[in-house]
Parts: sequence; C-alpha cells; structure tokens
Amino acid sequence: MAVVQHSSPSGIASAPLLGWFAKKNRGYLTAGYIILFLMGAWTAFPFYWQLATSFRSDADLYTPVVALIPRAITFEHYYNVLFGARSQFGVQFVNSLIVALATTFIAIFLGAMGGYALTRLNFFGRAEMARLLVYAYLAPGTILFIPLYVMMNNFGLRDSLMGLVLAHLTFSVPFSTWMLMGYFKTLPVELEEAALVDGASRWTALWRIVLPLAAPAVVVCAVFAFTLSWNEFLYALVLVQAKDKMTAPIGLTSYVVGDQFYWGQMMAAATLVSVPPLALYLFGQRWVIQGWTAGAVKS
Amino acid sequence: MSTLQVAARGSVATAQPRRNPFGRDWKLGYALSLPVFFVVIGLVAYPLAYSFWLSLQDVKVGAPGTFVGFANYYKVLFDSEARIHDAFWSSAWITLLYVGGACLGKLIIGMVSALILNAEIKARHFWRSLLFLPWSIPALVTAYTWKWMYNDVNGVYNAALTGIGLIDAPILFLAKPEYALWSILFAVIWQGTPFWTMTFLAGLQAIPGELYEAAEIDGATTFKSFVYITLPSIMSVVVVTVMLSTIWTTNSIQFIYILTNGGPGGATETFPLLAISQGLRSYDLGIGSTIPLLFFPFFAFMIYVVTKRMLKTGE
Repeated sequence: MAVVQHSSPSGIASAPLLGWFAKKNRGYLTAGYIILFLMGAWTAFPFYWQLATSFRSDADLYTPVVALIPRAITFEHYYNVLFGARSQFGVQFVNSLIVALATTFIAIFLGAMGGYALTRLNFFGRAEMARLLVYAYLAPGTILFIPLYVMMNNFGLRDSLMGLVLAHLTFSVPFSTWMLMGYFKTLPVELEEAALVDGASRWTALWRIVLPLAAPAVVVCAVFAFTLSWNEFLYALVLVQAKDKMTAPIGLTSYVVGDQFYWGQMMAAATLVSVPPLALYLFGQRWVIQGWTAGAVKS
Repeated sequence: MSTLQVAARGSVATAQPRRNPFGRDWKLGYALSLPVFFVVIGLVAYPLAYSFWLSLQDVKVGAPGTFVGFANYYKVLFDSEARIHDAFWSSAWITLLYVGGACLGKLIIGMVSALILNAEIKARHFWRSLLFLPWSIPALVTAYTWKWMYNDVNGVYNAALTGIGLIDAPILFLAKPEYALWSILFAVIWQGTPFWTMTFLAGLQAIPGELYEAAEIDGATTFKSFVYITLPSIMSVVVVTVMLSTIWTTNSIQFIYILTNGGPGGATETFPLLAISQGLRSYDLGIGSTIPLLFFPFFAFMIYVVTKRMLKTGE
C-alpha cells in the first residue's frame, strides 16, 4: 500500500533506484540537473507570464515590443476585477466556493458512510457495489453531459448552483468512497472491535473511532474533491449560461468581448481563481501526492 | 504489501459465520451504502442509459422525439451524403491524433521527470512541488494563459522568436490548420504531465532497493538494471496511467475549447466538441448523444482494464 510505504522518509534516500541518476554517476547526474532545470523553466514560465501580465498596465501590454519584466507594476486590473462596477467576479467566486464546498461536504459524508459499509460490513452485493464505484468514477463526462443537460432542464435545475453540485457528485462521490475505502482497509479492526465490545454502536464507531483515525485520508479526499469541483469545466460550461450563476473559472470568458480580449483583467482574474486550489495544494501537498497515487493507482 | 495491511485484511464481518442470506450486517450495510448507490445509479448509470435512449431518437431540444432505431448511428457512420458523416470521421481522426500525441508526450516527459525526481538530487522537495504545480491550477486558467502567450501580435512566443531574429512575421500558432493541433498539444502536455510524473514516481519508489543492490553485485550495468528491474516493476503502473490518462485527456476539452474552439476549419475538432456543437448549438440531441456513444466501446475497454487492476491490488 503506497500510503504506508511512503510514510518512511528514508525509503528514497537509502535506495539508489536508478543508477543513471545516482550520485556516483557524475556525468548522468549533471545531465539530470540540466534536464530538471529546463523542465522547471518550462513549467514555471506560464505561471510567471500570467502573474506578470496581471500587473502590467494596458499601455505596457499592447505594445509590439514585449518586455520580459513589467516596466511598471500596477494593481488596476485587480481593482477592476474585484471592484469594477460591472464585474461579476465576486459573485462568481462565491458561486465556485458554494459549489465546491457543498460538493466536498456531500462527497465526504456519503463516501465515509459508504466506504465504511463496503469495507467493514458484511452484506450481499458489496463486491459488486465496489466495482460499480470504479466504473462510475471513470465514466466519461463527455458521454454524460447531454443526458445530464436534458435531465437538469426537466427538473428546472439549469442555471442553478444545485444542478452543478449534482453534476459534480457524479465524479466526487465515487472517488471519495473509493479512496476512503482504500484507507479504511489499512486501519486495524481491533480498535473498532474494542469499542463495539464496550457497547458502542456501529454508527458511533464510524464517526468516533474510524473517521478520526482516517483524518489524513479525509483531508486528502477533501482537497481532491474541492479541487476537482473548483476546476471542473464541461458541466459548468453546459449547465450554466447565466453570468451570475457561473463559476469563477467559466467567468473568465467575460473578459472576452467580441474579438477584444481584456488580457490584463483576465490574467488578474485567472490568478485570483487559482488561489484556492493552489493554497490547498501547497497546504496538503505531502499527503496529496501520496493520496493521489494511493487513490488512483495502487502499487 | 506491508504487514499492516495483511493484519487488516480479516475484517470484523468476515470473521463471523454467515446466517442471513443478505449477510450479517445487511440492514446497516444497505442503509450506509444506499446514498452512494443512489448517486451512482441516478447520476451516472441512468444518464448513460438515457443517453442511449436519446441516440435512438430524432429529438431536438424542447420538442418530443420520435423513435428512429439506429438511424442516427447509420447516418453518422455510413451515410456519406450527410454532413455529420464527414465531420464525425474527421473528428475521430483528430481525437486519435490529439489523445495519442498528448499521451506519448506525457509518457516521455513524465518518465524522465520521475526518474530524475527519484534520484538523490538536491532540493528534491522544491523540484517536486514545482513540477507538480500545473496540476493544481484550473486547466481553464492555464488555457487562457497559453492563448495569450500564443497571440500573434503581442504574444510572448512570437515576440521572443522575432526578437532573436528566427522569424520575420509572427506565426499564427492557433489560426493555421497545420499548427493548431500542435500548439494545443504543447499546452495539454504541459498541463497533464504532473499526473504521470506522480504515478511513475510512486511506482519507482515502490521498487525495493535490494533488487538494485543484488543486480549490482552480479555486475549488471545501469542500463540492464533499468531494462530488467525498473521497467517490469513499473509496467502495471504505466498501463493504468495510460488508460486513465487516455480517458481523462479525451474528456478534457478546456484547452481546445479556449484555444481554437475546434477551428480553424474543424482542424482541432475532437468528438466532444462536435457533440457540443451538434447537441447544444444545433439542438440535435439525438445526433449529439450518438457521437460520444460511438466511443463508448473504447472507454469501456479501458475502464475494464483499469478496474480489474484497481480491484485486484486494492483488495
């Protein structure tokens, strides 16, 4: 189980996993650093450019001579995005928060219950249900978006945050359940047994014993569910047309008017949109990287 | 497999003799798993079936449909008179190029990054955080950033290329049919590689170091260790990653939608974009549902393979 193995920090250093890039091989190591540096630059540059653009004045942006470093720093784009009279950014940002938080909360709540049942309880059809979860998790949104569009239309849930939350549950609930299942399996049963012997109900055992023990997995799961929902594009594009019901990423389209692109404002808004998932990622990074591999690919 | 997991395998439930045909804990079991089950059936299985039902009809948005059997399928696949026929086959081909190109790029860059990040490099933590960064940012955000960088008037790429004298006139990265798909692929690979790096890295770290030590004692070269130890050990991770990423890459249309929206002249129109334009812009839900469903067998195969592996190793 990846989670267990990766928790030992010495595991990496003690095993020279590939001689090509191991210390003793100076030549390869130098080549490795050069490649690493190039890849770092290629990864970082778009971020830098986004940030740099958001601080440039329009006069600086729309000159044919493009300077790598902004000639002067201005906050006008951020000001316009956040406080501009016709800007919907604030509303859309809050929409995103509502949708992502609701999705995360429901996914974790249902996932914890379902995951517990599927790992610890004995009932007919649980193996089939576990399999169904994986199928559902991988079910492609490109096949589901038209029927979901028609369904939401019939229920009057188009252009509503609730419709969007429902659509996001299609991937977040199977994902959370599956991931929490994986973690529950690694927890020793004895603690629950002791609680059950002491007269606790299964329900109490789940919320008081198992879930607190699974806290790291719950955190990772929450980070994922939130990020997936925050970054989701297809359903948000298809289900919501009203500007005041859009999520913040889709709202970026408002900075294109006809063939006029308001790049400064767009990059400022884009930067602000990136903040929540980025903050979560940096905060939960260690667990996230382990959890990602544990949840998606078990080795 | 660690001892911890082996110990945890015998669960409370299986340790008990089974009396009820539904299982010992069936009441609580069903009660707890029912909400998840409802979501899976109501929001995934039902829409999937409904999509199939729509594909058997001639149905427009806001009007009742008429049952036409497999006429939509015939029209899309074989009716060379229909405009949708050409559009479909062109989109199938572009989808293949797009997904194949993206996966190949991510495989190569992801593998190289994982191998380097797994070695004893300095500031490993910093490099890892940096290389994983594109994954956490909404793809839509980076799609717009790339669109801005590809801009022909004051985009940074054209400015840089003109600046060092490589080109005289700006390159129309997104507006020329022969460049558009490549331009998109660069951005998609940039955004999608972290997932591959991450899973490969996990796979590499799961290989016991003793294997390499033993090989070294036996006089194996670095290259031989890679071919005989590293590759076989991470093969299953590679297979699962390829399958998962194929599914996700096909589904992630942000970059195409923002950078070219299928253009110029349909040069980058993968099947999801065609389905959107048919189903939701031309209001033909029957054809719109048929197009993605034609790819269903491929998805089903990949999901089957991934699921088999996930369930096998997950138990």
